[in-house]
Amino acid sequence: MAEHDLTSRLAAQLDRHLVFPLLEFVQDRRLYPEAEVMEAKLRLLDGTNMVEYAMEIHRSLHGTEDVPGDMVARRKEVHARLKVLEAAAAPLVTFLRNPQLVQELRPDRQYNLHMLHQRFQARLKMDTMYSYGTTTNQILLFTMQIGRDHIEAMYDNAKFLFECGIYTHAAEYLYQYRALSTNSERSVSASWGILASEILNQNWDTALEELNRLKEIIDSKNFSSPLNQLQNRVWLMHWSLFIFFNHENGRNGIIDLFFQDRYLNAIQTNAHHLLRYLATAVVVNKRRRNMLRELIKVIQQEQHCYKDPITEFLECLYVNYDFDGAQKKLMDCEQVILNDPFLGRHTEAGNFITVPLRDEFLENARMFIFETYCRIHRRIDISILAEKLNMRYDEAELWIMNLVRSSKLDAKIDSVSGTLIMSTDHINVHEEIIEGLKKLNSRTYLLAKNIVEPAQLAQQAARGD
Amino acid sequence: MAQHVVDIAFAARGRGQQPAAFKIDESHARARAPVRAPSQVPAMGLYTLQSLSPAEAKEHPLAMASRFWGQGDSDSEEEEEIESEEGSDIEESRGRDEEKRTGVTSRYLKGDDDDSDESDSGHRVVRSLRDKRNEEMKSIVDQMRNAMKINDWVSLQESFEKLNKHLEKVARVNESTEVPRMYIKTLVLLEDFLAEALANKEAKKKMSSSNAKALNAMKQKLKKNNKQYEDQIQKCREHPESFEEDDDKDDDDDEDEEEDSDAEIEDPEKMAMESDEEDEDKKDDGWETKLSRKDKLMDKQFLKDPSEITWDIVDKKLKEIVASRGKKGTGRIERVEQLTFLTRVAKTPAQKLEILFHVISAQFDVNPSLLGHMPVKVWKKCVDNMLLVLDILQQYPNIVVDTTVEPDEKETQKGADYNGTIHVTGDLVAFLERLDSEFFKTLQCTDPYTKDYVLRLREEPLFLVVAQNVQDYLERVGNLKAAAKVALRRVELVYYKPQEVYDAMRKLAEQPEDSMEDGDDEAGDEHQTVDDHGGPPPFVVIPEVVPRKPTFPESGRTLMDGLMSLIYKFGDERTKARAMLCDIYHHAISDEFSVARDLLLMSHLQDGVQLMDISSQILFNRVMAQLGLCAFKAGLITEAHSCLTELYSTGRVKELLAQGVQQSRYHEKTPEQERLERRRQMPYHMHINLELLEATHLICAMLIEVPIMAASTYDKRRPMSKTFRRLLEVSERQTFIGPPENVRDHVMAATRALNKGDYQKVFSVISSLEIWKLLRNKEQVLEMLKLKVKEEALRTYLFSYSSCYESLSLDQLTTMFDLTEPHAHSIVSKMMMQEELHASWDQPTKCIVFHSVDQTRLQGLLFQMADKLSVLVESNERAYEARTGGTLEGVPPRRRGDGQDSSNLGRWQDNFVSSQGRQGGNKFGYAGGRGGGQGGGYQKDRGGQGSRGGHGGSRFQDGRGRNQYGSTARGGDGSARMVSLNRAGRV
Repeated sequence: MAEHDLTSRLAAQLDRHLVFPLLEFVQDRRLYPEAEVMEAKLRLLDGTNMVEYAMEIHRSLHGTEDVPGDMVARRKEVHARLKVLEAAAAPLVTFLRNPQLVQELRPDRQYNLHMLHQRFQARLKMDTMYSYGTTTNQILLFTMQIGRDHIEAMYDNAKFLFECGIYTHAAEYLYQYRALSTNSERSVSASWGILASEILNQNWDTALEELNRLKEIIDSKNFSSPLNQLQNRVWLMHWSLFIFFNHENGRNGIIDLFFQDRYLNAIQTNAHHLLRYLATAVVVNKRRRNMLRELIKVIQQEQHCYKDPITEFLECLYVNYDFDGAQKKLMDCEQVILNDPFLGRHTEAGNFITVPLRDEFLENARMFIFETYCRIHRRIDISILAEKLNMRYDEAELWIMNLVRSSKLDAKIDSVSGTLIMSTDHINVHEEIIEGLKKLNSRTYLLAKNIVEPAQLAQQAARGD
Repeated sequence: MAQHVVDIAFAARGRGQQPAAFKIDESHARARAPVRAPSQVPAMGLYTLQSLSPAEAKEHPLAMASRFWGQGDSDSEEEEEIESEEGSDIEESRGRDEEKRTGVTSRYLKGDDDDSDESDSGHRVVRSLRDKRNEEMKSIVDQMRNAMKINDWVSLQESFEKLNKHLEKVARVNESTEVPRMYIKTLVLLEDFLAEALANKEAKKKMSSSNAKALNAMKQKLKKNNKQYEDQIQKCREHPESFEEDDDKDDDDDEDEEEDSDAEIEDPEKMAMESDEEDEDKKDDGWETKLSRKDKLMDKQFLKDPSEITWDIVDKKLKEIVASRGKKGTGRIERVEQLTFLTRVAKTPAQKLEILFHVISAQFDVNPSLLGHMPVKVWKKCVDNMLLVLDILQQYPNIVVDTTVEPDEKETQKGADYNGTIHVTGDLVAFLERLDSEFFKTLQCTDPYTKDYVLRLREEPLFLVVAQNVQDYLERVGNLKAAAKVALRRVELVYYKPQEVYDAMRKLAEQPEDSMEDGDDEAGDEHQTVDDHGGPPPFVVIPEVVPRKPTFPESGRTLMDGLMSLIYKFGDERTKARAMLCDIYHHAISDEFSVARDLLLMSHLQDGVQLMDISSQILFNRVMAQLGLCAFKAGLITEAHSCLTELYSTGRVKELLAQGVQQSRYHEKTPEQERLERRRQMPYHMHINLELLEATHLICAMLIEVPIMAASTYDKRRPMSKTFRRLLEVSERQTFIGPPENVRDHVMAATRALNKGDYQKVFSVISSLEIWKLLRNKEQVLEMLKLKVKEEALRTYLFSYSSCYESLSLDQLTTMFDLTEPHAHSIVSKMMMQEELHASWDQPTKCIVFHSVDQTRLQGLLFQMADKLSVLVESNERAYEARTGGTLEGVPPRRRGDGQDSSNLGRWQDNFVSSQGRQGGNKFGYAGGRGGGQGGGYQKDRGGQGSRGGHGGSRFQDGRGRNQYGSTARGGDGSARMVSLNRAGRV
C-alpha cells in the first residue's frame, strides 16, 4: 500500500513545519503503523520550538502523563528566549504598530533606516534624561547601532515565532522585516519564511504571490554555483505543491511552472518524483492537452530513474499503445492518488467525502484511452470498450452516445452487432495536391502584382511628365 | 708482453698497498645489494661494468682467474641461487631469469660444441672458412686494442668500421644470427674506453684535432651501433666470465691475448698507484689514471669511515654529479648509480630525500629520446625509489616537498631531530605522471602478442601502489589539487577495465603478497650480511612504512566513485573533464547506459571537446564508441546508431580511436605526422574491438534504414545513415554475391533478407558472426537482436506490401513474424498513430483494414512537382525581396527549417537536446561552463536544429549564468562532431 508513497522523498525538500501536514495525511490514511508516524512527528518536532505539541504527542505515543524532563526544560528555555527576542524587537514593533509613524516610511530603504535611526536616537536621549545611570559613552555606542540591530532582532523574533508554530505573527513580522531590511540574503530567507507561513496558514492567494516573488528572485539572482540554484528551484517546486493543489488556479500554475525549461531540468536532474504531480496535472487539465507530448518525452527519458503507476499509465497508452496495460495501471493510479497527500485531498460535501482529483483524473484518463483507441480502430465492440473503460455495457453506450451527440466523436453505433463504427476521414490525394497548388497560385499572383504595379506607376509618371 | 707482466706485478703491489681500502670496497659492493634487493629485479643489469666503481672493476680480474680454473661453476651456481631466490619474488621476473639462464647455458653448450669441433678437425691443418673469418676478426680486434693503448682514435675508428664490415661476413659464415661474443666483448671494451676518454677533459684537450674528431665520431657511431646489441652487451657486463671463457676457448692459440685484456682492465689501478711516476710517453694511460683516481677518491671518501663523511662532502658530491648532467661523457646509467650510492651515505633524511629526487630524475633521463621508453628495470627501480621517498616523507612529517619555496642552501642539513619544517624541492606528482607515461609508452612499444607485453602489464599494480601512496600522502598534506591529479592517473588505469578484468587485477595484486614478503625478507637478510661484514649501512635507515601492496575495493565502481569525488571536488578543468570521460566510459562498459548518457549530457563535454588536447579527444571518441556499444546491448538501436554513426562517417575509425594507423589512399603522411600518430596510439589491452564496433554500427543502421527505405520508395529523403546506404549500393552493384566473409558482408546479406521480411535468415546470418562471443551477456543480446529484427521485419513487410492487401489479420502477422499478439498489436498501432501506415484495426475480427490512400506513381510525381513549384515560387519571392529590399506583403510566412525536419529523424536527438538541458543539474558539481554552443553532439540534421537548437539554448540559460545569450545565439550550429584528429594531427 505504501509502495508508491513519496512522503519521505518530499520531506527532504520541505521545511520541517511543512512536513506536518504530510504526516497528518499519512496518519489518516494509515499507510504506516500509527506509532511510527508518531515517532516521526516527535523527531520532527525535536528541531522546532513547538514544545507543547511535542509533549502532547509524547503523551499519546507512550500513553503516559509523564513528560521527559528535557522537554520541560526546553519549554522553559523557549519561553525565556521568546521573551528576550521580543524585548529586543519591541521598540521597532511598537513603532510599526503606530500607523502614523509608518506613513513616514518611504520606499527607499536607506532612508528608512536613517530615519529610524534618528528617531531612536531622539527617544534614547529622552531615555537617558530619565535615567542617569548610563554613561554617555555607552549611549553613543548604543545609538550607533540601534536601527539595524532592531531590524535584525525582528527577523530573529519572527524566525523564533515560526519555529514555535505561531505562523501568523511570524509572517507579519517578516513582511515588515523585508520592507526595512537591507540585507538581501536575509530578505530572501524572509521570503521563504513568509511563503511557509502563508502555506501553513492556508492563505493560498498570498502564498502564490510569494511564490512568484521567490521564483523571480531565484531566476535573477546570481548564485554561487548552479548547484545552489538548482537546489532552490527544487525547494520552490516542492513548496509550490501545497499551493497548486489547493489554489483554484493551481492546475494551470503547476503546468506553467514545471514546464519551464529550467524547472523541467531541475525535475529531471534532482526531483524525478515530481513527475507524478506534473503528469497528474496534465491529465486533469483539459486545456493543456498539448503538453502531453512533451511530458511523455520526459517520462520516457526518466523511466529508468522514476516510475509510478501514473507515469506508467501514460507510457503504456502513448508509447506502447498497450491498452490492457494502461487499463491495469489506471487501477493502480487510483490507489496512488488516494494515498498521495497532495493529490488525495478530500473535500466533504454534505455527508460523503469525495476526492475531487481522483474523479477528474479517472474521467480524463478514460477519455484518453478511449480517444486513442478510437483513433486506430475502424470498428470496436462496445462490450470490449466498456470493459476497457471500466464501465458497464449500457453505461458505456450512453457515454458514447453522449459523445457522439456532442459531436466530440465522429462515429456511429451499430446497435445490432453491438459495435461502434468510426467514420474515417482521409483527405483525398487530389484535394491535397490541389490545396498545395492553390497557394502557389495566389502567391504567384501577388508576386506578379508587386512587380507590375511599380512598373505601371513609373510608366504613368513618365506619361504624366 | 713484457709490459703486461709488469703491469700485473704493479697491480699486485698496488693491491698490497691498500688492503684496507680494498676491503671496504668489497663490502661496499655488497652493501649496495640491499638497495637493489627490494626492487625485486634480480640480476637486472644496471650493474654494468661501466657503472662499477673502479674498486669493483678491480675485483674482476681476480675473480675471473679463479672462475676460469675450477671455481667458476660454483660461483655461477651461487649466483644462480641468488637469482632464483630473488626470482621467486615475482613470477614474471623468474620467468625472465629462467629464460636468461637457459640462454646462457645453451650458449655454453654451443661454445663447447664449437670447441670440440675445432679440436676434432685438428690444429691449423685445414682452416675452414669460418675459422679464417674468425681469425681475421680477431686480428682486427687486436689492432683496436693496440690503438686503444696509444689512444689513437683515428685508427680505432678505422678498425671499428672494418670490424663492423667483417661482422657481416662472419655472420654469413657462421650461418647464425648470433653475434660473435668476441665482437660484443670488443664493443664493451670500446664503450668503457670511450667513456673514460670522454670523462677526461684534460687529456681530451691535449689531443690532436683529428684525434678529437675521430673520438667524437666514434662516440656517435658506437652509440648507434651498440643499441642493436644492447642485450648482449648487458649480458657481457653481467657475466663477463662467460664471454671471457668463451673467448678463451675460442682463442686457444692466443693466451697472451687474454692476458692482454686482463692487463687492460688492470692497468688503471696500477697507474693509480704509480701516477707520480708517470712519464710523458705513457700519456695515453695517464689520463685514464687520473680519471680512475678521481673516481676512487670519491668512493674512498665515503667508504673510509662513516663517521668521517659529513653532510658537506655528500652535498658537494651531489652538486658535482648534478652539474654533470647532460655533459658529454657522463653515462646516464652511471649517474644513476652514483646518485644511488650517494643516497646511502646521505647524512640526514632530508638530504637523502633530495638525493633520491635527483636519482629519480636521473632515472628518467636514462632514456633520452621521446619515442623510446625507459628500460623496464629502470622503471621498476624508479618505482622503488618513489616508495622510498614516500617512506621518508611519512617518517618525517616535518619534511615538506614543494616547488614553490626556494630552499636554503643548508636546508637539508637539518637532521631528523630538527623540529621545524624542512623544505625540499621536488614534485611528486610530476614524477608520478612521468612514471605513468613511461609505463604507457612501454606498452605502446611492445608487441602485444609477446609475453613481454603480458609481463609488463602485470606490473601495473606496482604503479598503482605508488600512485595510491602518493595520493594518500598528498591528501594527508592537504595538497588536494595534486591529489586529484594523481587520482586521475589512477582512474585512467582502471576505467577501461570491466569488473572481470578488475577482479583479475585485484587478484594479481593480492597474489604476489608472499613473494613480495620474500623480497622484503631478503632485503632484511642483505642488511644483516652487510652488518656482519662491518660495512657502512645506510646512514639514514628508513623503515618501510608505506604499504607496498595496493588495496583495491571490491568493485571497480567503488574505486572509481571514490576517486571521482575527489577529482570533482579539487581537480582542475582538464582533470575533471578527463575524469568525467573515464567515468562515462566505465559506466558504459558496466552496461549502465542511462547513467552514462546523463553524465555525458550534463557535463557538456561534447561542446568543449574540440578545444581539448588530442589525447582527450581520443578518449572522447572511445567513450562515444563504448556508449554506442552499451546502448546496443541495452537494445536502444537509435541511440547506439547516433553514437556510432559519426565515428564511421569518416572511415577513419582506427585513427579516431587511436587503435592503429590507417593508410589513406589519398594523402601521404609525413614521417613526422606518422610519428606523432604513433605516439598517440592506445596500448593493445585498451582497444575496443573494431569488428564488434563495426557490426554494431552496421546492424543498427540496417535496423533503422531498411524500414525507411521500404516506406519511402518514391521520395528520396535524406538517409539516416549515409555510410550504410553507400555500402548497400556497392553490394547491390556486385554481379555475383558470394557467401559473406567479413562483418560488412554479413550485414549486407542480412539487409537483403530483411528487405524481404525474412527475419529468420537475417538473424541466422547475423548470429553467425564470430564477434558475439566477445559480449558478456551474449545470449541476452542475441535475444534482443532477434526481437528487434522481427519488429523491423514486420515493419518492413507492412511498408512494402500493404498496398497488396485489403485487410490482414493479426493472427497471420504473429505467426509470420513469431511475435506475441500484444507486441505485434503495439507495433502496428504505433505505425498507425504515426501515420506511417494508413490503416486501422477492425476490433471484432482483429484485422488490419488498409485504407487505399497510397499514392500512385503519378500522384507521387505530382506531389514532387508541387513541392518543386513551391520552391520555385519561393525563390522568386526571395529574388524579389532581395531586389526591392522590402518584404512581399500578404504572403503567408514561409516555413523555414521545419520543412526539412523529417519527423522520423532522431527521436534521440530530441531526447538529447532536452535532457541536455539539465545543465542546472551538475549533480557532480561539474561546472560545465565551457563556452560553445550546446546543440547536441548527435545532431546531424541542421535543418531541424535551427528550431531545436534555439530551444535547447534557452534551457541552459540560467545554468550557464552569464553567457546565456551566447549560447542561445549559437544554439543553431553548435553541433559537436566526432572529433577529427586529422586536423590537429597535421599541425
